[in-house]
Amino acid sequence: MAKRGKPALTICSTAFQTLGRAQASALGKKDLPIAVMPHPFGLRKRDEVRVIAEKVVDDILQLVTRGGAKSGGAR
Amino acid sequence: MSAASTSAATFEALDDLDAINKLYRERRWSDGLPIVPPTQDRVERMLAGTRRRRNEVIAVLPPGFGEATVERIAINAVMAGCEAAHLPVLIAATDAAAQAQFNIQGIEATTNPVAVWLVLNGPIVNQLDINATFNCLGQGAWANATLGRAMRLILQNIGGALPGDMDRATQGQPAKYTFCCGENEAQSPWEPLHVERGFAREASTVTVVGAEGTLNMNTHSKEAGEMLRVFAECMVHPASNEYCHGGEPWLVIAPEHADILKAGGLTKRDVKQRLWELSKMPAGRLSVKEVLRAQASRTDEFGEIKPDTLLTISRKPEDIWFIVAGGPGTHTTYVPCFGNSRAVTREIGV
Repeated sequence: MAKRGKPALTICSTAFQTLGRAQASALGKKDLPIAVMPHPFGLRKRDEVRVIAEKVVDDILQLVTRGGAKSGGAR
Repeated sequence: MSAASTSAATFEALDDLDAINKLYRERRWSDGLPIVPPTQDRVERMLAGTRRRRNEVIAVLPPGFGEATVERIAINAVMAGCEAAHLPVLIAATDAAAQAQFNIQGIEATTNPVAVWLVLNGPIVNQLDINATFNCLGQGAWANATLGRAMRLILQNIGGALPGDMDRATQGQPAKYTFCCGENEAQSPWEPLHVERGFAREASTVTVVGAEGTLNMNTHSKEAGEMLRVFAECMVHPASNEYCHGGEPWLVIAPEHADILKAGGLTKRDVKQRLWELSKMPAGRLSVKEVLRAQASRTDEFGEIKPDTLLTISRKPEDIWFIVAGGPGTHTTYVPCFGNSRAVTREIGV
């Protein structure tokens, strides 16, 4: 999507940041914005997830709209 | 596919096996075992095993999206200890692994221990001395060991799936070093796998399977129905991707077990149908999180999943696959699979 000029970003947990960065680079989009959440994610309860989501939603919106932003804006 | 723009890089190294292996270890080009140095001479001899052009791109392999040229496949084949006659198997396997339904991106990048299992069928099993009998999933056969190893090196070195980097396996499994066998077609009472999958009996094929592991099922049962019940109860396990997603479980049925099933009047289709019915599991046996995962994947099949919903191990009975392999004995292997993957079979050319 990013290659087609559409706003795009990846959301992942800290454990997958290396993978996300390496794959973005391999696909020629080294600057793809990646929003990184604390790991582990699957063990959190729904209300804990909501708190994290509310904390990062503005950062994610900012990342996706400006494109090519530095990684890890949302933590 | 297209031709790659560049040939594989070369470099000078001391003619010293220890020094070369130290270098490969430092650069993470090995699987952790010593390699055969892929000198230009050795790679040329390996390339003699195919008529394909060295720069032909067989596939682009995630997660690193490396171009798997014939030459790069040959280099990894040399490193693994393969012979030139093995190269066409690896070319076909690489092509198979790159097909969308196999989901190599998921298989390589997941936390799941899934390994790529190569199953060989047709005349090539005898031609290459691929073990399909005693200890066919174990050590001892050069072709099995080196072909499976070469596949792993291809996925790691061309596909970029290095442990801890783009290979995110939490623990992995021993089969990630090598996992390859043939079907013991001579001792199977049914049609072989490749014929079932639409190939001519005289064709040689390789099938790639996303295998989570192996579970031995030792039963001395002499009655087909009882044997299938026992197998099915072993296949039922609540911490399973197959029940969450509707998977594609595999079995390696021992020839003695296959004979009992055949004597019970069962076709391959009958075996699949019975295993599918007998391995249904109430969703309440899964953890709450796994029920949510199943709900996300299988709503189209089951609607709302409740504790008493009987989940099937696969979406359809025909999604259960098996080969007949091994020597004498009462051991059949269950090979649970990744769930989000479908096996792919390719004919082995030259």
